[in-house]
Amino acid sequence: MAEYSLHINGKLHRVKAEADTPLLWVLRDNLGLTGTKYGCGIGVCGACTVHEGGISARSCQIQIADAAGKHFTTIEGLSPDISHPCQLAWMDEDVAQCGFCQPGMIMEAAALVRQHPHPSDEQIDQAMSPHVCRCGTYQRMRKAIHNAAERKS
Amino acid sequence: MRISRRKFLDYSGRAAVGLTIAFPLDCFAQSSARDATRVFQPNAYIRIGSDNVVRLWATRSEMGQGVRTLLPMVLADELGADWDKIVIEQASPGPPFKNIRLRTSGSGSAAGTWHPLRVAAAAAREMLISAAAKKWDTEAKNCRAQNGSVVHLSSGLKLRFGELAASAALLPVPAKPPLKNSSDLELIGKPVKRRDGANMVSGRAVYGLDVRVPGMLQAVVARCPYLGGKLVSCDPAPALKIAGVKHMVPVKRGFSHGVAVVAVNTWAALKGRQALQPIWNKGPDSEFDSSSFTRQLEDSLSQSGYPIRRQGDAPAVLAASRNKLDALYEYPFQAHAPLETMNCTAHVQEAACEIWVPTQCPEVAQQETAEFLGIPAESVKVNITLLGGGFGRRLVADYVREAVEISKAVRLPVQVLWTRDDDMKHGFFHPPRIELLQAGLDDLGFPVAWMHKSAGPFLSILGTPTAEQKKNPNVYAEMGMPWGLFDNPYNLQNHWGDFVPVDSPVPTGPWRAVMYPSTVFARESFLDEIAHAASIDPLELRLRLLEPGDVLDLKDHQVERSRLVAVLKLVGEKSAWSQPLSHTDDGRLHGRGLACNVYDEDCYLAQVAEISISRDLSSLKVHRIVSAVDCGLVLSPLGVQAQTESAIAWGMTAALGGRITFKAGQAQEHSYSDFKVPRMNDAPTVETHFRQGSPMPGGFGETAVPTVAPAITNAIFSATGKRVRRLPVTPETLAKT
Repeated sequence: MAEYSLHINGKLHRVKAEADTPLLWVLRDNLGLTGTKYGCGIGVCGACTVHEGGISARSCQIQIADAAGKHFTTIEGLSPDISHPCQLAWMDEDVAQCGFCQPGMIMEAAALVRQHPHPSDEQIDQAMSPHVCRCGTYQRMRKAIHNAAERKS
Repeated sequence: MRISRRKFLDYSGRAAVGLTIAFPLDCFAQSSARDATRVFQPNAYIRIGSDNVVRLWATRSEMGQGVRTLLPMVLADELGADWDKIVIEQASPGPPFKNIRLRTSGSGSAAGTWHPLRVAAAAAREMLISAAAKKWDTEAKNCRAQNGSVVHLSSGLKLRFGELAASAALLPVPAKPPLKNSSDLELIGKPVKRRDGANMVSGRAVYGLDVRVPGMLQAVVARCPYLGGKLVSCDPAPALKIAGVKHMVPVKRGFSHGVAVVAVNTWAALKGRQALQPIWNKGPDSEFDSSSFTRQLEDSLSQSGYPIRRQGDAPAVLAASRNKLDALYEYPFQAHAPLETMNCTAHVQEAACEIWVPTQCPEVAQQETAEFLGIPAESVKVNITLLGGGFGRRLVADYVREAVEISKAVRLPVQVLWTRDDDMKHGFFHPPRIELLQAGLDDLGFPVAWMHKSAGPFLSILGTPTAEQKKNPNVYAEMGMPWGLFDNPYNLQNHWGDFVPVDSPVPTGPWRAVMYPSTVFARESFLDEIAHAASIDPLELRLRLLEPGDVLDLKDHQVERSRLVAVLKLVGEKSAWSQPLSHTDDGRLHGRGLACNVYDEDCYLAQVAEISISRDLSSLKVHRIVSAVDCGLVLSPLGVQAQTESAIAWGMTAALGGRITFKAGQAQEHSYSDFKVPRMNDAPTVETHFRQGSPMPGGFGETAVPTVAPAITNAIFSATGKRVRRLPVTPETLAKT
């Protein structure tokens, strides 16, 4: 078992793990950051989405050996006080039902509005459709993303 | 005794063990609310301390239906509590909740808690008011509880609940406290947002998989892929070579036999499992194939089955009719596939056990664990976490049984993770059904004879009727099943309904909307077929068949046809049904479809779906679904709207892509890549309109599911002239239709 250094939410962490351990399990098991969720383990549901340098990434598809030295942000680090425009917009639009997919959804949306400050419905479809919400909160998420874009500007 | 349909789910299977429906006054058995001197706890639901905090024990699991927002709304209104001073605790099985139901099912989070919680809150309110009146040497009628205080009306004097807690605790608990008038309720019926929004958007919400117990190990189970198969042998050596793998434990108490790999972290457990090569006995059902089973169901239609509805002489009138219509519909196996896979954390100790689990059936989890370990139920502590989706899947405690079995073997706290593949293949499933509809039509095309025969498995995990019970030809009718066939709301003079039970080796059970989806799909599609055959407007046909808007009396089950008429008219108005569709000049084929249903006698719903299809049939888009709802008193309009949106996504899964197939005794689908669920780009605009036809709240979590598929397939017919009778519909199946 090797030791790896990586930056999570602005803090340097050293973790001991097998080289092929997905970042998802390092976050959850080693670092106790359980906001990042396991949903499928094969990158088809989006529940484990984090940011790597501001770009969305599936933490179940990144091995710790490849994550070493890089900077990641998880839902816990998106804002210090639940003040990110996406978080505020999500609460405003009363989006969450069971809520399990929502950290991944919000991380994706945050990356989207960073890249496209006023995303079109087509851009929202493109960014968000790789994610699964079994409660079907899609309509409210779309409103929340537009809401977040308004807040940012 | 006839068991109503919802109660059937409450009582069935292991749920029967010691579980009774909450009787609201049972919690007042104690003669007074004496507790610690400064704490006021008049009943199991409410505790008020000197710090003014009002603790409310939630008697249902939060699985997305918003119960942890709804219950405080009810409490705050009836008690006069300060919304911001309410803290929610999760009730778990144990003495305070003896005789109070904690099971979350049957769309009952609102309807089932509304009255008991109001009574509990009213009792607390009356006691606080009495305590204040005593201090002010006045009568209770001169005081009012509001916003966390009791106010003396003439003087404006105020005492916070916390200041009154100690003296209120000494008073007797009123047995029948007066409830507020509905006009005095301030939060009920208003758009109140979820209280847990901040936790949901920050990763702080704790689900089953987020539980962390000191010293806990992680486990995954290599599961026998064959229905009913068993473990023959398994060499543990390859797994034990993986760093971090600690134990191997045979597992027999879930739906599938298997071998648990217990490790210091999840990845080690997963790699350990991958390294194993268990040898399975394939068991007796290794040839089971869902396509063959569908043919078996079709063949079974030649059997007479069990009578469910008998009005008039439908066979004779059908035979004598010059115009006839018949059609066969198919609904396949479905998985629940909640985003949080099954999981449970268990810690078996000496003569005790603690469990942390996302469950809809905590009483069952506790009872089964106690029996397995041979300890009293009180020695099993069940901590209910948030549920990352329930949908009926978490009404069975199979995944709890496994975790307890594994922890018992290793004597340490163990968290058992189901992978997505496990979850997709090893649950219990929504059973498939074949529905045969036949109608005899009069000269104008209206049905004068109606026959509906439904063939499929009963819900196996709830316990099917015994061979002895099956000798009673009315065994299913007496249970009011299958739903949708039994309570077909239409006024059809010659109307026969029959059920042909056909068992399969696949575990089947409650899936959101339980038995309605396939019967309603068939019934509402067939009505559309009749309407089109006679060139009658589908809405007009339904209204005609609900005349004279009377009450359909099915013994202890009443269907108020006038309420269904009202939501049909409302959805017609809101969807502009009588006007041509707009925005149809994009080169695609556009259509609109209608369906309606009465869900368990207390919720009436009509839906219109608007869809378009490319001319080459390769892309289908559901643009808009308009729902008109009468579920009686709406406690939380935002909640009911959210449940409509959610139910529509659920119904779309079954209509447009989701299905589970079995080949060689094994479920084939393994993730969201091959079990298709709606995504953002599939999501329609959803509109929900209300009409209140009853002063009591009806259940709503499942109600909007069954109509979705027929509304969409009727819209497909209107766009393309293609009649979809087998679900799911995909571009490939549509091309062949």
